[in-house]
Amino acid sequence: MSTTQLPVRGSFRGASDVPLVWRQVYFEQLSFWLNPIGAAITIGFSVIFVVFFESFEKHSSVDFLHINLGQYYLPAFMAYGIMAACFNTMAISLVNRREMGLLKRLRLSPLPTWMLMAAMLVNWMIIAALQIVLVLVVGLFYGVHGPHQVGLFILVVIVGMLSFTAVGIGVSTLVPNADSAGPIVSLVFFIVIAFSGLYYPIKSGTGLATVVGIFPIRHLIVALVDTFNGIPGTSVWNDILVMLVWAAAGVFVGLRRWDWSPKRG
Amino acid sequence: MPAVSVEHLAKSYGNAVAVRDVSFEVQKGEVFALLGPNGAGKTTCVEILEGFRIRSSGQVETLGVDPADSSTQRWLRSRIGVVLQELAIEPFYSVRQVLTRNAGYYENPRPVDQVIELIGLGEKSDARIKRLSGGQQRRLDVGLGIIGNPELLFLDEPTTGLDPSGRRDTWELIKRLAAEGTTVLLTTHYMDEVEALADRVAVLFGQEVVASGTPESIGGRDVGAVTIRFKLPEGVSAEALPVAAVPREDRYVDIRTEEEVRVLHDLTGWALAGGYQLAGLSVLRVSLEDVYLGLTRTETGADEEVAAR
Repeated sequence: MSTTQLPVRGSFRGASDVPLVWRQVYFEQLSFWLNPIGAAITIGFSVIFVVFFESFEKHSSVDFLHINLGQYYLPAFMAYGIMAACFNTMAISLVNRREMGLLKRLRLSPLPTWMLMAAMLVNWMIIAALQIVLVLVVGLFYGVHGPHQVGLFILVVIVGMLSFTAVGIGVSTLVPNADSAGPIVSLVFFIVIAFSGLYYPIKSGTGLATVVGIFPIRHLIVALVDTFNGIPGTSVWNDILVMLVWAAAGVFVGLRRWDWSPKRG
Repeated sequence: MPAVSVEHLAKSYGNAVAVRDVSFEVQKGEVFALLGPNGAGKTTCVEILEGFRIRSSGQVETLGVDPADSSTQRWLRSRIGVVLQELAIEPFYSVRQVLTRNAGYYENPRPVDQVIELIGLGEKSDARIKRLSGGQQRRLDVGLGIIGNPELLFLDEPTTGLDPSGRRDTWELIKRLAAEGTTVLLTTHYMDEVEALADRVAVLFGQEVVASGTPESIGGRDVGAVTIRFKLPEGVSAEALPVAAVPREDRYVDIRTEEEVRVLHDLTGWALAGGYQLAGLSVLRVSLEDVYLGLTRTETGADEEVAAR
């Protein structure tokens, strides 16, 4: 039994906390991989889509971008992978953990909230990064080349991960129970992603592009396609700004509506 | 300094009162039980003491700090253990993995193997949690509560769902922790659990404490009238006894008295003089359950069921 000492204030203990974050990341990863079916579905979809589209559509050209579809689909499905991991699977997992009482148990442990959030973020970033690497490897097999603007490409990837994780946290707080987590989150995911230029390129300035330009996935797809292919005359800063605004909105909603207890609505 | 101090605690959700004007203390090393029907406010009290919920008013200290003070919550939670009312364990981990993970949250955890042995899951240590029975999962839940080697352990209905053997094992574990000096705050519906474990008990009803004391004395159990019961000797009627008695259908008689020493003296003297046996002679005090039911009856005679939220 530990003995009472004078209370230590604060939830951040400096450098000594860093190994604890990585330890929590390890257990988050372990939990993910111990459910191999769930892991395969999360990881595998983007690879399956890429194989399908690269096999049948790679030689068609996208005139307004001056690239072929093979060069378009690869970064587009990287965006899909980021959103699938950091938004879709993360939000559903978060709702399930809340409704099972797992978040409540963690809240009652000494694990600080910031450490749990940091570990969750890193966990889903690792899973999204793994998808990007797999998609890239598949793309190389099909003769796709890139990324051409490596630094900007990595920046867009990181901002995309942060943005969708934040939005996913915000959306998870709006889901009332575990049963509706899958339908609600997946509905948002597939509707938004289907019209944002994942399956077919959308030319900027069109009515559809303007409408879907509200959503962060459109900007992630555009920014990844541009930086992956090094398309001249494009800038990703507006796309990054939109994603950051969505991230802020996700954090705002999350902070306002966060609940450690099951909602069971 | 008590381990837990609660003064005039109140908690409301909008217009719904969950707890009103609750006061009690739990001394270090003590096993303290909170008894009460569903919705009486037991879990709300415990969750406020754990720092999980914020009180509406009143003063609360857990291990000397305000559990609502976010600046000391990490410190506090490294010194308390919690067993929740409902099971909450990740299904894909093994027993050892989840205990190892949680052990890492604490400064001075118990060895994982020791906890596995204490909760009796040695043969299941590498089994996935989803493969465990409900009772085994409940024991693992208790293991997660004690893995941090806590000074203060909150047990919210810890034996609900356990079979009789599992309950006894959990009781033995709680007794062992208490003997080591761990303070235990227990909520339960089971009277035998209170009598077996608790040093003191408070009964919550209608969102407030209606009685408190030791299990032996609460509600005046240790004073007042007792019932003396025995089987009438063959050929003797109740009217022939030296004190007034009420016959029962089974040839036993009940004598209700507040002077049990004098009545027993009169009875046994009469029996010895007449050469009678007083088969099954016993002195019955009011049970804890009788006291509890007496304290938690509404005017209509039914247990009050108040949804706290």
